[in-house]
Amino acid sequence: MTKTSLSILAFASMLLSSTAYAAPVEVTLWHMEQPPHRVARVQELIDAFNASHPEIVVKQEPQSWGEVYAKVPAALAAGAGPDMLFAIPDFAPILKKTGALTSVADFVAELDKKHKFIPSTVQSYSYDGGVWAIPLYNMSMNLWYRKSDLEKAGLKVPATWEEWEAAAKALSQGGAYGVGVPANKQLYTDQTVYSLMVNGGATEIYNEDGTLRFDNPETVGAFEFYTKLNKLSPPDSTSWTWGEAEACFVSKSCGMIMQFSVISTYDTQGGGEPSDLGVAAIPTEEAGAEANTIAYANAVMLLSKDDAKTKASQEFIAWLLEPENYGKFLNMEPGLFMPVTEDGAKAETFWNDPMVEKYKSQIETVIANSKNGRLFGFTSGRTFPSIAAISAQNLIAETLQDIVVAGTDAKGAVAQGQARMVEASK
Amino acid sequence: MRNPTLLAFVFVAPAMSVLLLILGWPLVSAIILSLQDVRSVGSPGAWIGLDNYAKLLADPSLWRATGMSIAWVAANAVLQTALAMIAALVLSQNFPGVRIARTWIILTWIVPTVVVVIIWRWLFSTSGGMINPLIVQSGLSARPIGFFSTPWMAFATLVFINSWRWFPFVTLMLLAGMTRIPGDLYEAARIDGASAWKRFSRITWPLLKPTLGVLSVVGTLLSFNVFDIIWLMTAGGPAGGTRTLPVLIYETAFKGYRLSEAATMSVIATVLLLTFALLTVRSLDRQEERE
Repeated sequence: MTKTSLSILAFASMLLSSTAYAAPVEVTLWHMEQPPHRVARVQELIDAFNASHPEIVVKQEPQSWGEVYAKVPAALAAGAGPDMLFAIPDFAPILKKTGALTSVADFVAELDKKHKFIPSTVQSYSYDGGVWAIPLYNMSMNLWYRKSDLEKAGLKVPATWEEWEAAAKALSQGGAYGVGVPANKQLYTDQTVYSLMVNGGATEIYNEDGTLRFDNPETVGAFEFYTKLNKLSPPDSTSWTWGEAEACFVSKSCGMIMQFSVISTYDTQGGGEPSDLGVAAIPTEEAGAEANTIAYANAVMLLSKDDAKTKASQEFIAWLLEPENYGKFLNMEPGLFMPVTEDGAKAETFWNDPMVEKYKSQIETVIANSKNGRLFGFTSGRTFPSIAAISAQNLIAETLQDIVVAGTDAKGAVAQGQARMVEASK
Repeated sequence: MRNPTLLAFVFVAPAMSVLLLILGWPLVSAIILSLQDVRSVGSPGAWIGLDNYAKLLADPSLWRATGMSIAWVAANAVLQTALAMIAALVLSQNFPGVRIARTWIILTWIVPTVVVVIIWRWLFSTSGGMINPLIVQSGLSARPIGFFSTPWMAFATLVFINSWRWFPFVTLMLLAGMTRIPGDLYEAARIDGASAWKRFSRITWPLLKPTLGVLSVVGTLLSFNVFDIIWLMTAGGPAGGTRTLPVLIYETAFKGYRLSEAATMSVIATVLLLTFALLTVRSLDRQEERE
């Protein structure tokens, strides 16, 4: 081989190696924010990140909550899983159990120094000596109503269960339903029922030792009251998910509903004047008691075992939590996703969104309500893996269906519910 | 090759190999899984022999779901056959636009399930749906009806929606069967003064029996395995009122994280369906031989 050809080969190999070195790291994000406008907003952010970080390429693949519990373990087993995956607290233990997760405690601590996480949002993912996901946004359940409806009926905003039932009865007129609460065997029903349980003294479903304490008089009381509300709800509430409840409220068929947020639907589907939209904390059983609610700290889990991909994923998440980007991210659904960091709660990008400006007072109330957020199975500072199966099987909602559909009394249904939870925990 | 039987096997072998691979392997995998204790996809599981079979065969929820599946198949068979027979009899006539009608009838069948679900959920909704206002305004009911509010209502509504979706398929099969009936039989019956009912009951129905026999096997297998429409409409609810065997299998595998138990149920369901198919096909063969 001549010197010239050797030189050409050496130069070509240098070129090849430098090309390989410069190849961007590709990371895939799976999230469950499927509505097209949310996908578009996530894409906007990804495009901005990719443009400012030429060494990384982030791609999104929207998934459905209905399928993701089954899809992710299968995809990971086949080696085709995502590098980043959005999560709610009860989803993380499933993946942790399969060995797919590594603790992100150090990364979360680093982000916390800079942005100050709301402690409860990190707590939902902190157990077994690690932190298993990075909190991204918060969602909390609220009571939505029209101020004019209550004024017309001479009612004040219900703060107790008694006032709530009275208001629901008063608003049940002219073919409208005073309240709309779901009774489907589905996650939305789990959320609304638990929102009553936490306001009726039934926050904990586990004892200290991990045994179940779902079957107790407070839980029975919450189910009894929920059943009263359901009787004042539309008859098809047994098949409702979030969308049907919002449709019922926006079409004025329901006087009040429990929902994370109705702002987007209310605003875009002709729900009424922004100033007429009322939001309050979920009423409590006892007058003067502190109002609680269910709150979901949504987070992102890192699944890649490749160091370069993990670093690229961390880079993207750190960028996303910067206040100048974070507000845009939260406002993919204005009024629904609340900040989990202190600087995020003050971010101009969050408060300057036109929809947020229009519904500022409602959003402030939602943020205030979310501070007393609880999530079943994640309330005592310890997390028991069986909560994943209890949540995935919607056993709280199934207990309600036993009462509302099958006609079982609340005491018997709650006892059956606990038995199912014990079976699911095995 | 002189041995024709051997030659036949050689020709059939490639197709059989493909069939074994795409049908046999999943079945073998399910059987292997049913003998283990695997909880979720990708996690390991210990060998436990026939424990899953012993546990599930004694579990009332399996038999309730099997009973629900049998009721689902029977209700769909009756409604779909009735609707399809009426449609086929109409479409077998010659009238202006019959060709267009024969094409358009398959529309409900080709619409994706998700679209079917969205359409019917909206139509039956009490908030903004079209059916409830009609019912209330016509005085049939003072209040809107919750079509998915009780197990019985949800079951009946689902049967209706599924039959609406699938009856065009049955109609096409019956129409194909009707074209094989010689026209001169009807001609002769008309000359003999036979009424329309007599022509149907003495000519159409008996000569359609082979088609109906094939349909009973295919339709049962298709109906039994319907999962998408039930899951998307009611997810097996309310209160388990529409929890057929496929729904229970899905719930067990992907909600309850008991993959091996779900595989066991699948094997049991396969055995039940295979037995049914073999018995029906044998009975049809015998009937054909007798005729």
